[in-house]
Amino acid sequence: MPTEAPDNAPQNAPVLEVQDLSLRFKGAPANIVDGLSFAVRPGETLCIVGESGCGKSVTALSLMGLLPRGVARVMSGTAIFGGQDLLALPQRALADLRGDRISMIFQEPMTSLNPSYRIGDQIAEIVLRHRPVTRTQARARAQEMLERVKIPAASNRLDDYPHELSGGMRQRVMIAMALANDPVLLIADEPTTALDVTIQAQIIDLIEDLQKESGTALIMITHDLGVVAEIADRVCVMYAGRAVEEGPVAAIFDDPQHPYTIGLMSSVPSVGPRSGRLATIGGMVPAIDNMPDGCRFAPRCPFAGPRCDIAPPLAELGPSHRAACHYAPLESAFAEAAG
Amino acid sequence: MSAVTSAADPAEETIRLESRAWKKLKANKSALFGFIIVAFFVGIAVAAPVLPIADPVATDWGAVRKAPSAAHWLGTDEIGRDILSRMIWGAQASLMAGVVSVLIAVLIGVPFGLLSGYFGGWTDQAISRVTDALLATPFLILAIALAAFLGPSLTNAMIAIGLSAMPIFVRLTRGQVLSVKTEDYVEGARAIGLSHFAIMSRYILPNVFAPVLVQATLTVATAIIAEASLSFLGLGQQAPAPSWGSMLNVAKNFMTQAPWMAWWPGAAIFLVVLGFNLLGDGLRDALDPRES
Repeated sequence: MPTEAPDNAPQNAPVLEVQDLSLRFKGAPANIVDGLSFAVRPGETLCIVGESGCGKSVTALSLMGLLPRGVARVMSGTAIFGGQDLLALPQRALADLRGDRISMIFQEPMTSLNPSYRIGDQIAEIVLRHRPVTRTQARARAQEMLERVKIPAASNRLDDYPHELSGGMRQRVMIAMALANDPVLLIADEPTTALDVTIQAQIIDLIEDLQKESGTALIMITHDLGVVAEIADRVCVMYAGRAVEEGPVAAIFDDPQHPYTIGLMSSVPSVGPRSGRLATIGGMVPAIDNMPDGCRFAPRCPFAGPRCDIAPPLAELGPSHRAACHYAPLESAFAEAAG
Repeated sequence: MSAVTSAADPAEETIRLESRAWKKLKANKSALFGFIIVAFFVGIAVAAPVLPIADPVATDWGAVRKAPSAAHWLGTDEIGRDILSRMIWGAQASLMAGVVSVLIAVLIGVPFGLLSGYFGGWTDQAISRVTDALLATPFLILAIALAAFLGPSLTNAMIAIGLSAMPIFVRLTRGQVLSVKTEDYVEGARAIGLSHFAIMSRYILPNVFAPVLVQATLTVATAIIAEASLSFLGLGQQAPAPSWGSMLNVAKNFMTQAPWMAWWPGAAIFLVVLGFNLLGDGLRDALDPRES
């Protein structure tokens, strides 16, 4: 019975496999996340991309069992992690996993640390919670982690309060906390959004380096395609609560197949001579009480036709490249239209 | 060529919250003044047994209602007791009443406020409704009613004052918890698997504690007045043991013949209350870690 991550498992067995996850806010007429499936393997980085409000962050919270009770709930789906379904685990068991085998980095480093607690103690706390160690050992681990996230003069910094650190430093502390127990899976929810651009690059590099060192699987939630290009192995593009396209990062960037992904890629400014206006996607994300029954992107889609009234399944297009569009792959659709 | 070491300057690492709060408190003139007043009265109250003063309950029929003199610095009362001595021993009763009743209020009020704000729902409803009912009754009336119900003694007066001051702390703590519990670091604490108890005691309590401490300091002043009021009504310290309130109670009968009997306890209550208020205000400024 695979309760612990087995050593003899094939290397590409997923660390986390989410199937058909649906979430709904209380009183809402439609699911905020609808039939989402994805998997992430050891050492792999999966980027979940999408605009604000598409359900990225609630997905992460639901996996951690942190959905605010009475506000949002899981409608269907499984999330298999180490042989257990995270969505079915009791709170107590989830609390034992959180911070130990699954860790999370939050968006706002300025407010994510306890202001009345020295940072060394905060890192030590997560170790003490999950490991049978003494206070001294936990503190030594805290210092080691601060060194690993490249905080200068780590031993002096242990006794600092969060307000004595800059935003970038605080995010490093958050990363140190998240990795203190060598988690199997790290979920980073827009870890660089609140930071300025130069610090963003440093933090992304740091996360990438630490992930390579430790072999942790990483789910990076972001709306920044620059971050995706830099760090992702695989990408899952979400639109209005559904996965519209999923595949290796190269395939998503070089050969996007879903009209939304295509729009997303062409809306990124590039360095170099400009050729015309930057593309935009017309219209707005539909409101939750006005979700189309079929393809949720259809109202904004230049290709939309009558068959888009039925929600398209994720169709296999290439090696682990899938898109949820009736017209995918586009080449064949064009050929069909021409012929 | 030797590499330049990158060790941080240790001097810049030494500024810590406690020392900074203390520095800010010392730099605040009025807070320092308040602290000195409070320290003075605490000092004489603690030192009462060893100070070379007369017995506070010894009567002297040869020196009834004598004005301040070299023999009796602050004068004597209606049965010839030394007022200086009674003032000093009375400081014990007043300060103790202030501090103990506030401790009672904090020890009961803060946990209820924490539970109420943290869990919400029916826990919050139950605790908040009782708090509202208690707050609807004027503080002193409630204290008098409770003290009358418990019976006249200093201990019962302290319990009555503590219970009457308790709802303020429930309300204050609850409000603070409501704002603190939505902070990202509380969610972060849940995300590392901490229990409700650990989150409440280590992530929420320390961050709501500064306003509670300030309120406690200010409430000590209120409680001292309440104790004086209860003693004035005969519900507090019982004769012949001295307290400032009971001294005033007697002094009111001799306002024209021996006004000094009322001056000293009145002035002492005024000063101590002023001291605690100044100290409380200063603590409020000093304990905010975000304000430098």
